[in-house]
Amino acid sequence: MLFPLLQASPWALFIGRFHPVLVHLPIGFLLIAALIEIGRRTGKISVSESTVVFVLFWSAVSATFACIAGYLLSMGGGYDEDLLGAHMWKGIGVAVFAWVAWLVKSDRLAGKISFGKVVYLPAFAVSVLLTMTAGHDGGSLTHGDGYLTQYTPEPFRSLAGMDPIEEKAKEIKPITDVQQAVVYKDIVQPILEARCTQCHNASKKKGDLRMDELALLMKGGENGPALVAGKGAESDMIKRCLLDESDDNHMPPKGKPQLSTEQIALLSWWIDQGAPADKKVSELAVTDQVKPALASLGGGSATGGSGGAKQKESAIATLKVSPAKESDIQALRKAGLIVNTLSQDQNLLEVSAVNAPQFSDKDIALLLPVAEQVTWLKLGGTQITDGGLKEIAKLKNLTKLHLEHSGVTDQGIAQLKSLPHLEYLNVIDTKMGDAGLKNIASMKGLRSIYVWQSGVTDSAVAQAAKQSPGLQIVNGFSEAEVAQFLKAGDTTATKPVAATKK
Amino acid sequence: MEKLLKELQYADVQRQTRRHFLQSAGFGLGALGLGSLLGSCGSSKAGDAAGASESLAGSGIPQFAPKAKRVIYIHMAGAPSQLELFDYKPELVKYHGKDCPAEFLEGKKFAFIQGVPKMLGPQGKFAQYGQSGAWLSDYLPYLQTVADEITFLKAMHTDQFNHAPAQLLLHTGSPRLGRPSLGAWAVYGLGSENRNLPGFIVLASGGRQPDAGKSVYGSGFLPSVYQGVQCRTGGDPVLYVTDPNGMNRNIRKKTIDAINEINRQTYEEVQDPEILTRISQYEMAFRMQMSVPEVMDVAKEPQFILDMYGVKAGEGSFGMNCLLARKLIENDVRFVQLFDWGWDGHGTNATDNVEGGLRSKCQISDKPIAALIKDLKMRGLLEETLVIFGAEFGRTPMQENRNGVVMPYMGRDHHLEAYTMWMAGGGVKQGYSHGETDELGYYGVKDRVHVHDLQATILHLMGFDHEKFTYPFQGRNFRLTDTEGKVVKQVIA
Repeated sequence: MLFPLLQASPWALFIGRFHPVLVHLPIGFLLIAALIEIGRRTGKISVSESTVVFVLFWSAVSATFACIAGYLLSMGGGYDEDLLGAHMWKGIGVAVFAWVAWLVKSDRLAGKISFGKVVYLPAFAVSVLLTMTAGHDGGSLTHGDGYLTQYTPEPFRSLAGMDPIEEKAKEIKPITDVQQAVVYKDIVQPILEARCTQCHNASKKKGDLRMDELALLMKGGENGPALVAGKGAESDMIKRCLLDESDDNHMPPKGKPQLSTEQIALLSWWIDQGAPADKKVSELAVTDQVKPALASLGGGSATGGSGGAKQKESAIATLKVSPAKESDIQALRKAGLIVNTLSQDQNLLEVSAVNAPQFSDKDIALLLPVAEQVTWLKLGGTQITDGGLKEIAKLKNLTKLHLEHSGVTDQGIAQLKSLPHLEYLNVIDTKMGDAGLKNIASMKGLRSIYVWQSGVTDSAVAQAAKQSPGLQIVNGFSEAEVAQFLKAGDTTATKPVAATKK
Repeated sequence: MEKLLKELQYADVQRQTRRHFLQSAGFGLGALGLGSLLGSCGSSKAGDAAGASESLAGSGIPQFAPKAKRVIYIHMAGAPSQLELFDYKPELVKYHGKDCPAEFLEGKKFAFIQGVPKMLGPQGKFAQYGQSGAWLSDYLPYLQTVADEITFLKAMHTDQFNHAPAQLLLHTGSPRLGRPSLGAWAVYGLGSENRNLPGFIVLASGGRQPDAGKSVYGSGFLPSVYQGVQCRTGGDPVLYVTDPNGMNRNIRKKTIDAINEINRQTYEEVQDPEILTRISQYEMAFRMQMSVPEVMDVAKEPQFILDMYGVKAGEGSFGMNCLLARKLIENDVRFVQLFDWGWDGHGTNATDNVEGGLRSKCQISDKPIAALIKDLKMRGLLEETLVIFGAEFGRTPMQENRNGVVMPYMGRDHHLEAYTMWMAGGGVKQGYSHGETDELGYYGVKDRVHVHDLQATILHLMGFDHEKFTYPFQGRNFRLTDTEGKVVKQVIA
């Protein structure tokens, strides 16, 4: 601490926490004073100088209180010392220069100071400028360095010479092969980054603890080490996560995104295993408790479930389009199609031909005026053929396409490759074959494709699944699978059990 | 234009006699809501009931893009024991036959348990299945094959310990009569897609209707066009839907047209929205004569599908209802509600218990449910279809001792503090278990989910913010979750 005058008593912290509230008063007051002064000097408004001086006085008073509260808050610790120092001195500067500007204009002193006129404007200006920079420092202390400009859009980004926006891994990405994942780097660190390092990093080490590097995590903070290697249940970081959310010692603090049960289980398991830095999952003992949590890390696959993993948000969440013309929508409805707006805050459309089995290639033109808006299209069981798909390929924002029980073939399916957002494709009971699947399986955003009763063979499915691990390809059941399913009941003791009478 | 409209309304009001007013008072506010629905059909002139069915179907735009476009809700009426099927409690084995701890009984009321009952250990053998390691018992050998598709809610709880009120609470958000059911809300919100089929279809099996009767799939104060339409599982799917002898389809059409014409005139006079419902039901019934027998006909299903569901064409059963549910969903029916009666397990007789009785109920339902999930997945329908399995409450970890007497069979009483439900498809996580109960399975100790939370979550998956999805009735906006409910975000994929 810079001034060991006060101890960090509850009172000090209580008042300190009002710093973020108080601090906005001098900011507002000073800017208003400056605006009035400008308006007055340019003759835009007619107010007396005493108005400005009056506002200046309160600016100085509030700045002073903000400084005191700020100092008390800083005693709670956990801030970057350099940044905190700069912020403090700039804040004090604001108060001092505001007092100076007021002093030289005040009734009692204005006459006594000969250089008053010369000092007034510079002091005023310095105070205002310091408000801005001190405010920015304060923001950085609270939210972390670079918070303000983190999402600067292009082209300003390149102009300012900033790096491209890094996709902060706020939500943890699925891991393709859990067994080969390095526990700390691939599992633990992403969890810490998503939930902990916002406050425990190089610039904002709350509780004097940094969690952004393994060595520093081991070192711990003011309450001792964050973890005891080999003893997950006794490690502070685990204990705190397990406390009731309303408990003062609970982490992450109330209101912040919390760790899931699986995440806690994973961290605890990793610590139990000695908190190794570079061991893989396969090199550690996998306990029963952690199995489901580990399974939850995997992404979707052709065979198994995604194990409770959070799915990547569909492209529809980010697609923004202008509303479709009502007349175009009416034309589609007249042709027997169902047209629904996807949601209230989006103009994307869902179009279904469930009531229009006669819908054919010649009706496709109706869709083109809303080509931008249609994102879910259901043409299952219609007369649509490859000719129609050529036009459908123009619906750039399609994410879901139902073509089951229609006349489409490999040729038409190839057209769909140009759809950048397609996620779901249903071609069951069509003439699509292995070539079509191979063609379409390489599409980047595609998540699931249903090919049962089409010309696609199981070997082509296996091959495509290998090439595109993120893609789920479903080809119905083989006879063997059906037989296996039917036997499920025989393998366990589910024979009728006569209820035993006591 | 606005003035003209006001004048028209004024004229309408004047035409209403006192009797009309009193008659329609009950619907008055409902009609206000409906007015906006009808307004949306634009060009049709006021009172033109011809487009009634069309305008009543598909009324709102969801708050967010729906993940679950359709729902199959499997309700096991009577409430199976979670402790035999899903919620594995090894500790309970040790306590088997011991007196129930006093802390479980203090200040608690049970439907039948009196005094100090004994604890009852799990009757099933449990093991973990799938990559997700889901705990399931040997009562459910088929469900094990789809364990990785499922999200389990292990700490469900409710407020009611008797069947009928608990069923009402689960399906309508209130233990008392008069509220619309979940399916009615779903169709009211998202509309009905297939114009030849009702948007909300109910199939019941097990020999009896659910205890709460038709109200669990009723429309409450919503226009009655949204109520569930019950179809029969065997024989004629809808009674009286076939033409009687001597009447052909043309005469039928003319009859219905004539009735509708009269109804339309009455509607123009009294403006009762229920008349629109009646007109649209007549039209729907006429179309259903063709469409329902077609959809309900399983003769064209390949043999292996019939084998998987364990059904024979022409025989009604729970398994058949599962197969029909898939066929209805395939035809874009919005909400299919299955009820199967006979899951109570007090231990009073050879069927009403958690040993043999529950096992035989599982034997006829486990296979078709697993087949349904596999079948939906194979057809690319599971992603968009939410399958929900559960009951109105769970069962106690204590053995029932009705009237202080030990039951002849292993049985458990109704339990509202903790039970298991599961969901699959329709935007929920695959292979996930949410919530935990204590060591004996009495209380939920982590991530408890109240039935209102479940309703909020289902509506959320269908694209609705349960707090904003309302219907004005008797002076206030009603919602499915009443004043409660919190979306369980953790289960959403």
